[in-house]
Order: sequence, then C-alpha cells, then structure tokens
Amino acid sequence: MSESIFNELAQCVIDGNEEKARIIAKRIIEMGLDPLKAINDGLMKGMRQVGEDFSNLKIYLPEVMMAAEAMKAALSILEPKILEKKIMEERRKVVIGTVQGDIHDIGKNIVALLLKANGFEVYDLGRDVPIDEFIKRAEEVKADIIAASTLLSTSMPYMEDLIKMLEERGLRDKYIVMVGGGPVTREWAKSIGADGYGEDGDEAVRVAKELLKVRGK
Amino acid sequence: MMSIWEVLDRAETGQYMDERDFDLKIVAKRCKELVKEHDIKFNPSEIITTDDSMADDVFEAGMKLALDTGIYCISTKRIIKFNEEEIKEGMETAPREVIVGEGRDARVLYARGIEDARRPIICGGQAGATIPEEWYVPMAMSYMKEPLIDMINHGGIAIVEGRKVRTHSPLEIQATRRELSMLREAAARSGRPGIGLIAGESSVSALGDLAIASERYMRTCDSHLVALLNELKTDYDRLSKAVNFTEYGAYNVTLVDPIIGGYAGGPEGVAICFIASFLLGRLLYKSEYHICHPIHFRYVSTSAVECMWNLNIVGQAMARNAKFIIMGDVWTSAGAGSEMIFYEIAANTITNVVTGTHPLGVSATNGKYPHASGLETKFMAEIAIASTKLNRRNANEIVVNLAKKYKDRMSNPDIGKPFPELYDVRKVVPKSEWMELYRRMKEEIGEIIGLW
Repeated sequence: MSESIFNELAQCVIDGNEEKARIIAKRIIEMGLDPLKAINDGLMKGMRQVGEDFSNLKIYLPEVMMAAEAMKAALSILEPKILEKKIMEERRKVVIGTVQGDIHDIGKNIVALLLKANGFEVYDLGRDVPIDEFIKRAEEVKADIIAASTLLSTSMPYMEDLIKMLEERGLRDKYIVMVGGGPVTREWAKSIGADGYGEDGDEAVRVAKELLKVRGK
Repeated sequence: MMSIWEVLDRAETGQYMDERDFDLKIVAKRCKELVKEHDIKFNPSEIITTDDSMADDVFEAGMKLALDTGIYCISTKRIIKFNEEEIKEGMETAPREVIVGEGRDARVLYARGIEDARRPIICGGQAGATIPEEWYVPMAMSYMKEPLIDMINHGGIAIVEGRKVRTHSPLEIQATRRELSMLREAAARSGRPGIGLIAGESSVSALGDLAIASERYMRTCDSHLVALLNELKTDYDRLSKAVNFTEYGAYNVTLVDPIIGGYAGGPEGVAICFIASFLLGRLLYKSEYHICHPIHFRYVSTSAVECMWNLNIVGQAMARNAKFIIMGDVWTSAGAGSEMIFYEIAANTITNVVTGTHPLGVSATNGKYPHASGLETKFMAEIAIASTKLNRRNANEIVVNLAKKYKDRMSNPDIGKPFPELYDVRKVVPKSEWMELYRRMKEEIGEIIGLW
C-alpha cells in the first residue's frame, strides 16, 4: 500500500504536477505513513528518474524545473511532520550561483536541479552574485559546498577572489569549493585551489558526492 | 523600420513579467505547443533534410512564437513586443548583401540560398575563445595569411599587460582596445589591411564595445556581435552595444545561440526559437546579418548531430522565407592538432553551406582552449567551396557518415595542441607535423566525400 502511494508521489514529480504532489503528500500524512520514507522512496526516486531522463535528453530543462517545483510543494507538507529531524538535517547543503558580472544562468540552473535530484539541499543565489554574498549565505545555512559558475572568461577571476576571500577570513577549510562553466577548465580550477570541477552537470554531482565522502561528511 | 528609440521606449513601457514566468509559461510552453501543432520532428538520419514543407512549418511556427513572446528585457523586467507588420517590415528591409572590409580586401557578404552554387564567404578565427596576449598577433595572422579566408572573427583577451580582466572593470576597455589594435596590426602584417573584422570579443559588458567605436579601432566596415540571451531575452548591456553601433554606423550582428535541452526544449523547439530570434533580433538590434549557433546542452559543439540538424532546418527555413544573411558557426569538440577535428569540420561545414549559411569558425575545443590555428580553418574553407557542388540528398549521406566517425568521442574529445606547438610563431607557418596531418586528413576525407 505504502509502496504504491510513494510511487504515485514519484510520478507526480516526474510529471511536474505540483498540485497533485501536494494532495498525495497530504494523503500520506493522513494515512500515518512515514514522511521520511515518502521523501526517499517517492520524491527522491522521482527526481532521480527526472535527472536521468534529462541527462539522456528525453526531457528538457522546463520539465526538470517543473519536477523540482512539484518536489518542493510536497516537501513543504512532508518535512514539518518528520520526527527524526536529525536525519533531515543531514542532507548536504550547497550554495550555488553565477559569479559577479555574469548574467548567464542556464548552466548553473541545470547543475542546481541535478544536485536537487540527487538529494542535496540547494540554495540558489541566482546570477551576478558578489563573492561575499556566496560566503555570507554559506555561513548562514551552514553549507557544505560552495559552487560557482560562469560562462564568461572575464568573470573567472571572481572565482579566484572567492577562494582568496575564504582564506583571508579563515573559512577556507570549512567549505568544499567547486567551479564550472563554459570557459572554466579542470586545469584552471586546480590552479586557483578549487576542490572540484564539473565539465557538465552529471560530473558536478558525481564530484560533489566524492568530495563529501573524502572529507568524511 | 522602427527606430532604436522606439525599441528603448518599449523596454521601459512593455508588459511587466517575472522572468521565470517568461521562461516557463511563455517561451517553454509556446515552443512545446508549436512543435506539436506543426508536427516538427528531428530525424538523426536526416541531418540535412529535403523536406521543404518542414522548413516552411518551422518558419511559420517561428513567426507565431515571435508574435507571442516578444523579447524580455532583464534590466527592466518588461517585454518588448513587435506586431506582424513590424516583423514583416524587418524582413523586407533586411539587407540581401553587405560589404565587409575595405579596399581590395572587401567582400560581398550575401544571403545564401539552399544548394547555392556561389562561393560562400569564409569567416575564420577562434571565435569565442580567450587568446593569450603574447600569441594574439601571430595567431590572428595564421588565419589572415590564408587567402581563402575572407574575414576574421577571432577570440578576445582576458589578461592585458599581465592583469586579469574582470567583467565590468575598467580593464575591459583596455582589453577590447588592445584586441582591436592587435587585429589591425595582424591584418597589416599579413598584407591584408582591409580584411573585414567581427570583433570586440573582449567586451563582455558594453564597456569595451563603447570604447572601440572609432576608426582607430573598429571601422564602419567591421562588425560586432550582439547576443540574444537565452532564450529570447536582452538587457541594457546588449541594447547599449546595439545603440552605440547603430549611431556609429558599423554592423550589428545578432548572435543567436539557443540551448538544445534548455527552455525551448529539444532540437525541434530550438529550431522554432531560432526563427523567432532572427526575426526579433533584426528589429531589436537593427542587425544587418545574423549568426546561427545551436548549443548542445552537454557537448556544446555545433558539430553535434542535433545541432547540425538545427543549422540545416533553420538555414533552409530562413532561405525559403526571409532571405537574411546568416553565418553558421563551426564549433568543434576536438582541437587543432587532432584527427578528430577534421571530421567535425567537414560535417558541420557541408551542412552549413548546402543549407543556406556561410561558415564561421573553426572555434576548436568550443573556444575553451587556444588550441586552434589558420590551417584547420583553411580546411574548412576548402570543404565549404567544394560543398557548393552538392545537393541536399548527397550532402546528407556524407554528413551522416562523417558524424559516425566522431559522435561517440564527443564526451571525451582529443583537444589537440596549443597554437605555438602547431605553428612556427615567428614565421607564422604551420610546423611540419601539423602540415602532414592536415594533408593526410584532407586526402582521407576527400576520398570519403568525393569532393576533390
């Protein structure tokens, strides 16, 4: 019984059906089922499928965005009912944004959505984000990862500034810093002291998971 | 055609909308609906189609999209709308030819047709890339020294006199001026002082662009790119560039680069988005000509099968219905110095030339590394000129076969070597190893395609 309703919830995410996702989530609570299980076996299962379909170009960015909205709607109902708060708090947090001077955000949006699809709690700061804003937000939400993106070679130095500012403020070891975007290369990421680089969204997710594992998080 | 003043007025008075609503509720929704309504289908085994009715359907759908969406101005959060009469006026007044460059280096850049037997204009350079200042002149010369290359669109510089250029910082002005000075020096040293330029690539914001509107840097026979932001959007930086060049008198070129997998959807939705972008870009930026640059969400390269299908259908749709001057980008995953790059260049270039666009490239490694030179662009020119003998059916067979040679390697391409390892930088001539590879690949691909 619970499996079928969790599958129904997963399907709401796949279909991007925000309204139905909310209704199913309420029904799960009324039925006294475990909300944490509903998140893992329903919402996350659906988002994993969405992420996979997007990587294979079976669906496109608007469908992924709608799926994320459906997940958010159901989460707003399920999350407050979770008794084991600690487990929820263990979801890894990423603060992500397109760096200063750059208003291109599709690549960053894709990475943010794929991270969400893989269970990360994502704080998307948008585009043209000043570097101190990344740090301020990361401190506020106690982030694990700061992820910075750009499509412009002339905004790449701001990524370097971000790392330097973290060092200056004695915060560098607190965060995993990942960079990516059109002109950003693996070699350059290494040269500025970033911890990780993603050539595309899939690699960004994989590297984020690996880095967390290495740091024992 | 309406003035740039009217465009700016509409940017301030058009309908207010949240940007996310514009992306999802307007662009994404309408693209999806129009693909279905016009039954447009991407077929990977028909990268170059002979289906004229599909080309017309794509155009009709694009016109509807242009009327429904307009252009979203990010700076004001308002929609700049155009009506059908205005769009048609933009089409009717679009130049069929323009003269780029000057003196004996001037060329007539014209609106190509489908299976057009005329020699295409070859625009060479590693557009979109960041080129180190110390190699900039010899690298630009490597293109200018090739007589088959008619005009230049080379990359920008991101470090000027040892200082990193940050977007919106004053160094953007110096970088863009330096880029133009070096291009003009390279042109003079190559004996082609009048060669037409598409330049100002170091100007990410409007700052650098404003600083080069002078005969000392950019002449009125030169061009700069004004991008439409993804999808169907602009902002005050882009509009400032257009205003400046409209008054200065040099050419505005709309760069249209929708993302396959993005807001417009798959290859079919992107094709429709392209048409709307060209029609609206003409009015918005007063563009004399346009660049067609489909972006693959994973590989980026225009040589990806989905992207080439887009170049094909968009080129044909425009050639049959709007007759704009369009250049089609040639962006490869592989770099110069590799074998793979030749297959990508050949497939991409044949597609462009046969379906109505002039080739612009080669932006090797998608502009990520300065692993490019004039020699592979000479190959692009040779392929382009030879392709004028092909019809669409033959061209499709060749392109499908060429794509098989590289498509599985696009996620892990051979990025080749940097320019100084490929060329003798002092003499600006290809090193023997690179020249031998070029000769071998030219012969091998020549046998496959039967063009020489």
